[in-house]
Amino acid sequence: MGLLCSRQRHNPADSEENEQTAEIDRRIEQETKAEKHIQKLLLLGAGDSGKSTIFKQIKLLFQSGFDEAELKGYIPVIHANVYQTIKILHDGSKELSLSLADPSKFMISDENKQIGEKLAEIGGRLDYPRLTKELAHEIETLWRDNAIQETYSRGNELQVPDCAHYFMENLQRLSDADYVPTKEDVLYARVRTTGVVEIQFSPVGENKKSGEVYRLFDVGGQKNERRKWIHLFEGVTAVIFCAAISEYDQTLFEDDNKNRMMETKELFEWVLKQPCFEKTSFMLFLNKFDLFEKKVLKVPLNVCAWFKDYQPVSTGKQEIEHAYEFVKKKFEELYFQSTSPDHVDRVFKIYRTTALDQKLVKKTFKLVDETLRRRNLFEAGLL
Amino acid sequence: MATCAVKGGCPSDYVALSISLLSIIMLLAKATAPYLIHKIPRPKGSSFWLAAIQVFASLNLLLSIVMALGFLRFRRRYWWRSCYIWAVWIEGPLGFGLLLSSRIVQAFQLYNIFVKRRLPPIRSFVLLPLVLLPWIVCATFIHMNKPLNSRCHMGTRWIIPVICLHALYVAALVGFTGAVRHIEFRFQELKELWRGNLVSICSVGIWVVSYILNEIHEDISLVQIISRFLVLLMTSVLVVAFFSISISQPLISLKSLGKKDQQEYSMMGRALGIPDSGLLAQRELVQLVDSNEPLEKLLLNRRFRHSFMQFADSCLAGESVHFYEEVQQLDKIPVSDHVRRVYMARHIIDTYITPGATMEVNVSHRCRQEILSTLDLAHPNLFKNALNELMQLMKMLKEEARIKTVDNELEQSGWNFSHRLSSVHCADDPFHQEHSPRKSSSSSRDFELQ
Repeated sequence: MGLLCSRQRHNPADSEENEQTAEIDRRIEQETKAEKHIQKLLLLGAGDSGKSTIFKQIKLLFQSGFDEAELKGYIPVIHANVYQTIKILHDGSKELSLSLADPSKFMISDENKQIGEKLAEIGGRLDYPRLTKELAHEIETLWRDNAIQETYSRGNELQVPDCAHYFMENLQRLSDADYVPTKEDVLYARVRTTGVVEIQFSPVGENKKSGEVYRLFDVGGQKNERRKWIHLFEGVTAVIFCAAISEYDQTLFEDDNKNRMMETKELFEWVLKQPCFEKTSFMLFLNKFDLFEKKVLKVPLNVCAWFKDYQPVSTGKQEIEHAYEFVKKKFEELYFQSTSPDHVDRVFKIYRTTALDQKLVKKTFKLVDETLRRRNLFEAGLL
Repeated sequence: MATCAVKGGCPSDYVALSISLLSIIMLLAKATAPYLIHKIPRPKGSSFWLAAIQVFASLNLLLSIVMALGFLRFRRRYWWRSCYIWAVWIEGPLGFGLLLSSRIVQAFQLYNIFVKRRLPPIRSFVLLPLVLLPWIVCATFIHMNKPLNSRCHMGTRWIIPVICLHALYVAALVGFTGAVRHIEFRFQELKELWRGNLVSICSVGIWVVSYILNEIHEDISLVQIISRFLVLLMTSVLVVAFFSISISQPLISLKSLGKKDQQEYSMMGRALGIPDSGLLAQRELVQLVDSNEPLEKLLLNRRFRHSFMQFADSCLAGESVHFYEEVQQLDKIPVSDHVRRVYMARHIIDTYITPGATMEVNVSHRCRQEILSTLDLAHPNLFKNALNELMQLMKMLKEEARIKTVDNELEQSGWNFSHRLSSVHCADDPFHQEHSPRKSSSSSRDFELQ
């Protein structure tokens, strides 16, 4: 700047050129400052752990949300979820009726057999038809069949998506001719993420000057997607690791022989040990708490090898809390096991989340933001 | 006084020795040339190891013949000149037996893939010791009964069953070659196979005769000299001819031999001669923003497909589109052309389906298992389910691309994507709204910058 000033004094004839140069320099400086302040956040986790749902929530909270075109863009996804779900349940009931001790429980009633075959055929097509009222009615009939309900109760052995119940109960609304998905519908819609998606947002605080800029990256969680993660590991401010705690009795989408909780455990360990993350803050989201609440009273935690030393103490709400604390403690232990002593000062926080609950996500993210800001000030020596 | 017929060291012996040395050098040169000279990366897996085992076995065979039949004149009796080591163990299970067994295993895998059209059910590493078992049993039996005399000859009673075992394995190899003879291999493997087999059988025939003569007529020195010479000569010819038959990695031999019709084999599709492997029929570029068309139709348009592929690659999701493209190429091969279909299917499986592959795609466990355990690699609908699953993912990608074009104002020349980025400054300020009315205790904490 000083040099420019002196140049301006000495060469009044080139004042316009100098002004332009000054403008460019100013812009460059602004951008470099801005770039330095962009904080990189990564959403990591195994497949189906809720990363993309959190991503959508952040979009809803801190950006202009979804416009009508975007909402309508989710209609094929929602319809696809419906067809896929009913096909999985139908095929699952057939499989279970062959292999179990009580096969009659899983035999679809005669009047619904034809509907079942038709829907299974539709579900196997490349291009799904639009969900008409007629089809919705047929799907609902099949859904109410006892065999299908029994199969659904054993959904953990098949790959039934979590949104199954929600969409099946709302079929009438989904099949309206002028249906526009609600925000909730979009949050429930399930599509495996492939590759990397990013958004940049700025949750401005009370004092506008301190507006941090965050760049959030969402990735796919399945095994083949993880080889792409390495491209994102440089210069990360914080990793938001999503772990679905309700999945302790389910197996992986990409590998029927691996328990999901064990996979999450190994993945978390691997992420913690990455050399790029020595100074990175870790926010562990223990996600899908709503499903965990319902499941833990029916299915004991010890079905998962990692939780085999769990002892239930009571029933009802107390039991749920106890189970949750047990899981949280396991993750804490894992964190300290996998962190070398010289890195223990990096930030590690655990949050209980339900990614579908907007208020809860907002509150949680606020806490995350506070933690990160505090960390920044600490690093800058102001705290 | 012992003549050279008994003790070894005749001029013909030295000639035979030098020929065998030459053949060893040629063998090693042929084995390593593609990797050292043409700098082709070493293939992983059983094909490399089977070839390495064959080289090893060939060397053993030559060495055992030299030592057992007494070509070299040694002054003292060393312990390592024991007949049992050379004539029985190294010639049998570690030489001839190993050589032929590894060939049989290779032919068996080939038979599986091209005749039965499925991925090999038994791994080579399990199969090879099994096929080698009779040799080990035989060698142990001979070792226990010790029928060899001081000149390493077995005598008529023992030589017949031993030769039978040799002949049996040769017959098995010929049998497998015969089983695949009606397949028109793409890369001229069969011609080479037959040629190699012919040479091998001739040399083995002469070898057998000479060996028997050597064993039986111990007293006639001329027979001894000539038969010894012939045995070593035929063995040398055999090992070199045998190795020249390339069965499993046609592309490597193609690259290294530098065929006259030098074609670009960078893409498997081109190598198999699928028309327009990198191009599609000329069609005008229809308005791409007309995204009401289903994705399947849009992807048939080459320019759209390449543009979409570039976009997908930029967000690290490109493998699905590449997979789609290669399956399209597979579908172009006529259903009757089994061999080409099998080659292409194997290539797709190795690149996209095998767990840990470089461009592994995101498909379910069930889908992957169905493909890997298929009974027919040339089946037209082999990859249909995988394509269905991936089409859903690609549709989502297309949605994001469409949203991006709306945000970014479509440019005339095409799409310009480097990120799926949408940076919007916050219009709605949830934190601010929460703070101002309530002035909660959390906000009165110290860390707000003044």
